[in-house]
Amino acid sequence: MSPSSSIRVAGLGYTYPGYAVPALAEVSFEVAPGEVVAVLGPSGAGKTTLFRCLTQLVDPDEGTVELAGRRPAELDGRELRLARREVGLIFQQFNLVRRLTAQGNVLAGRLGHLSTWRVLLRRFPAADRELAGVCLARVGLSDQADQRADRLSGGQQQRVAIARVLAQQSSLVLADEPVASLDPETATSVLDILRDVARERDITVLSSLHQIDLATRFADRVLGLRAGRLVVDKPAEAFDDTDYGLIFASPTPAPPSGTPA
Amino acid sequence: MANWAGRAWPPSTADLGLLLLRAAETFAIALVGTTLAGILALASCTLAARNITTNGFLRLPTRWFLNTLRGIDSFVFAILFVAAVGLGPFAGVLGVALHTWGSMAKLFAETIEDMPAGPLDAARLTGASRVKVVSYALVPDALPGLSSIALYMLEFNVRTSTVLGIVGAGGIGLELKNSLDLLNFPRLATVILIILAMVTLVDQISARLRRHLG
Repeated sequence: MSPSSSIRVAGLGYTYPGYAVPALAEVSFEVAPGEVVAVLGPSGAGKTTLFRCLTQLVDPDEGTVELAGRRPAELDGRELRLARREVGLIFQQFNLVRRLTAQGNVLAGRLGHLSTWRVLLRRFPAADRELAGVCLARVGLSDQADQRADRLSGGQQQRVAIARVLAQQSSLVLADEPVASLDPETATSVLDILRDVARERDITVLSSLHQIDLATRFADRVLGLRAGRLVVDKPAEAFDDTDYGLIFASPTPAPPSGTPA
Repeated sequence: MANWAGRAWPPSTADLGLLLLRAAETFAIALVGTTLAGILALASCTLAARNITTNGFLRLPTRWFLNTLRGIDSFVFAILFVAAVGLGPFAGVLGVALHTWGSMAKLFAETIEDMPAGPLDAARLTGASRVKVVSYALVPDALPGLSSIALYMLEFNVRTSTVLGIVGAGGIGLELKNSLDLLNFPRLATVILIILAMVTLVDQISARLRRHLG
């Protein structure tokens, strides 16, 4: 196990400006290379803030983030771009370029590897175009390669986003609520693809999810967030009702049954 | 006025060839000026867009500069350029280009600021530099909006260019002024009809093109 392909989060804390309660407090965990980890928690538990800290869209007040052996917060310019190249991202809203084809969007995963003039002139090396084809085939979308992204269904768009991450060839993938915008059946199949490619290529995955059944099916390990704190950290197969309670149960006792709504 | 209108009928066809040539010159001034402005606006609009250029020390001076260009009318620029580079369409092209640069870059920047952040973040976080992000993730989605603005500016500039000749900056405006100075009303009528036909035609074609964008 090389230390260069893991996540190390230590003492992470963040409070949004103007809020009294921290969105994240004292969150620490490590993810080993090749591990597939789900971050579970109700809305507002801090999952998105955690991902925004991991991707430097938010600058944490406390603590450190180390991705694939590097601390992005301490880098800038070219070094930061090189560090970002090693971390693939998947978003809830897919974030494809709407008017580019599926193939064009997969090639976007190569942007960090290509010279500026190649990007400006859209001159992708044959090897990259071949790679994009392989990645699209892996997510089962070879027949949609020339289709514009905004003409694809939500599930297809997220599969293109997975292919984009594969084309980026990073050892680590962060996914923020990757299936929250999809219907349950599509959600399951998209997560299955993500888990399978992670296993095949030994990619470390950290993904936030808000449904337990999806999380335990998808991940080797589950991290539970509640009110910005890490309350559960255990293997997926050991996850039980007590853990569920720790993450999701309301802080006050539920009203007795029979109470009018 | 009625007297003038009466004396203007029927319009003269004596100089039709020359007048059509001048009309073509007017259109050329608008087209070349707008194209130059489009290139300059494309190059500068991202510097004025808040979501691309977060650094205020770069963005605000760019905005001031573009606002200054926008604040000076093509006609005023044309008067200055006639003095600086001499009579003729070149002065008109420069006048149109500079004013339109300011207007177009401002509209471009506003369009870019309204683009969703997600695809740009996604590209940036693959480790792509700003130029790559703009060219690959922004331009394809912004292009229909930007093209529509450019076509609209072209329509506007064809109308503006019809009067540039009055100050000697080329095009059919010169014939407008000459005919009026010589009290040659039939010829004046022809000039006005040609201008109307040209402006209508350009507006129609441009409106149709803009409908097909997107």
